[in-house]
Amino acid sequence: MSYLKIENMEIAFNSVKGKFVAVKDINLEVEKGQIISIIGHSGCGKSTIMNAIGGMVFPSKGNVVLKGKEIKGPGPDRGIVFQNYSLLPWLTVYQNIFQAVDAAVKNQSKEEKHGLSEKYLKMVNLWEHREKYPKQISGGMKQRVAIARAFAIDPEVLLLDEPFGALDALTKASLHIELLKLWNLTHRSKTIIMVTHDIEEAVFLSDRIVVMNNGPAATIREIEEVHLPRPRNKKDTVNLPEYKIIRERLLSLLVEKVALDEGEFYKEEQAA
Amino acid sequence: MSGGNTSAPSGLITTLEKIVSVIVGISYNVLGFVALLVAWYFVSLITKGELPGPLATSVIFLELISDPFYDYGPNDKGIALQLLSSLIRVFTGFLLGSLIAIPVGLLMGANAFCRKVFYPVVQILKPVSPLAWFPIGLVAFQSASDATIFIIVITSLWPTLINTAFGVASIPDDHKNVSKAFGFSKWKYLSKVLIPYSLPHIITGLRLSIGVAWLVIVAGEMLSGGMGIGFFVWDSWNSLSLEKVISAILIIGLVGLLLDRVFAFVEKKVTYSI
Repeated sequence: MSYLKIENMEIAFNSVKGKFVAVKDINLEVEKGQIISIIGHSGCGKSTIMNAIGGMVFPSKGNVVLKGKEIKGPGPDRGIVFQNYSLLPWLTVYQNIFQAVDAAVKNQSKEEKHGLSEKYLKMVNLWEHREKYPKQISGGMKQRVAIARAFAIDPEVLLLDEPFGALDALTKASLHIELLKLWNLTHRSKTIIMVTHDIEEAVFLSDRIVVMNNGPAATIREIEEVHLPRPRNKKDTVNLPEYKIIRERLLSLLVEKVALDEGEFYKEEQAA
Repeated sequence: MSGGNTSAPSGLITTLEKIVSVIVGISYNVLGFVALLVAWYFVSLITKGELPGPLATSVIFLELISDPFYDYGPNDKGIALQLLSSLIRVFTGFLLGSLIAIPVGLLMGANAFCRKVFYPVVQILKPVSPLAWFPIGLVAFQSASDATIFIIVITSLWPTLINTAFGVASIPDDHKNVSKAFGFSKWKYLSKVLIPYSLPHIITGLRLSIGVAWLVIVAGEMLSGGMGIGFFVWDSWNSLSLEKVISAILIIGLVGLLLDRVFAFVEKKVTYSI
């Protein structure tokens, strides 16, 4: 039996216009310790799938099963890194991590929890900035705090919702390395599921890439296996032939739709 | 960064600039008051002294504040004692009002059921004039002084209540999601998310409430009599000393301003920036 399994999942929301189906027929199996990316255009329900694993939304059909147990809500076995950092602005960097650790980690003393907060803050090299407030640090640093916070509660699964979307290319690249470093330091035992719309990012980080169709009622279009050797680094990995092949494949999958629309539009104009 | 610390001339210039801007700020205020005094002077001229002018008033004003603590029996006390009595009533009423308004506001903001139940009641009671409550207070407490406190409670609680409810209801989903994802306990959610987020809103509400309470006290004490700045105004009118009335108006204005500044300061302290 697989570690994380999504079976025939459909997620629908009730809106003013009636039932709105965000995603349907989602089947996905994930092995422990894998890094999975979910990629697709805006509004294809990528985040919805992730929220279902996080226990923030519930399937209207089918189910999500983690280690043989159906997901009933959020829990400390899953750490979430939100798209917009979601640090609490009135808490210092340190307190943002400590309060999350304090709430999520059970059966440990306050000292041990302080120890955990310190360890992970040092891992992302932000120990000197621990007394600062979120507004006083850069976007990249905020996201490092958010990643440290998610790792610090020692979850089995990490859910990253477009974690690097708002960052510039250089910061993004260094955070990719940072993420892989943390994953290595925790013995590659954590399963990471990441939502992104960045093809390069998905190929560089992932073991498997789930490509989504466009919504509404989005489905999985294709799942790409990425067999690039680890540890990966920005210089060599991107020059491997396989990297380029997968990138091209994803590009054609995701850009094809736009090209088709333009063709149809052209024909209509001719007819008129 | 380095320019301000290392080179003396630029530091001197910024200090000078600060001083100049402070002087400019003060001169605006002075200009406004000069305009007011001139207008007042002419009105006094036109009414042929029916309304006492600035000069006549200032004599009485100085007389009032030269011996603010005298006490010649129940109906003749110094201005500071009158003020103190009013302030004690205002803060008692304001405190009791806030003790009701903040919890109810938190409840209304956090819980849709409570919001739907209480909101219509709030809408009906909020616009009622404070003086309309006075007879109810008299019946309930059998004492004019307590009735005054009662009307302050009931009129000063609305701004705090509404602001608190609004603050809590507007907590962003992001913050709620963090507390959900990391399994915050009810207490942790309250102390680390709900209260810190709504505190600036609550303080704004309190600032509006103390303003209302200070407005209401004068009217309330005119009705209740006995003691306080409102009673002082009414008593001065009865003894036909408009100079005292105008002096009292000045003092009421200054104290109101001071109260507002104190809360504005607290407001600034608790407001976090994103």
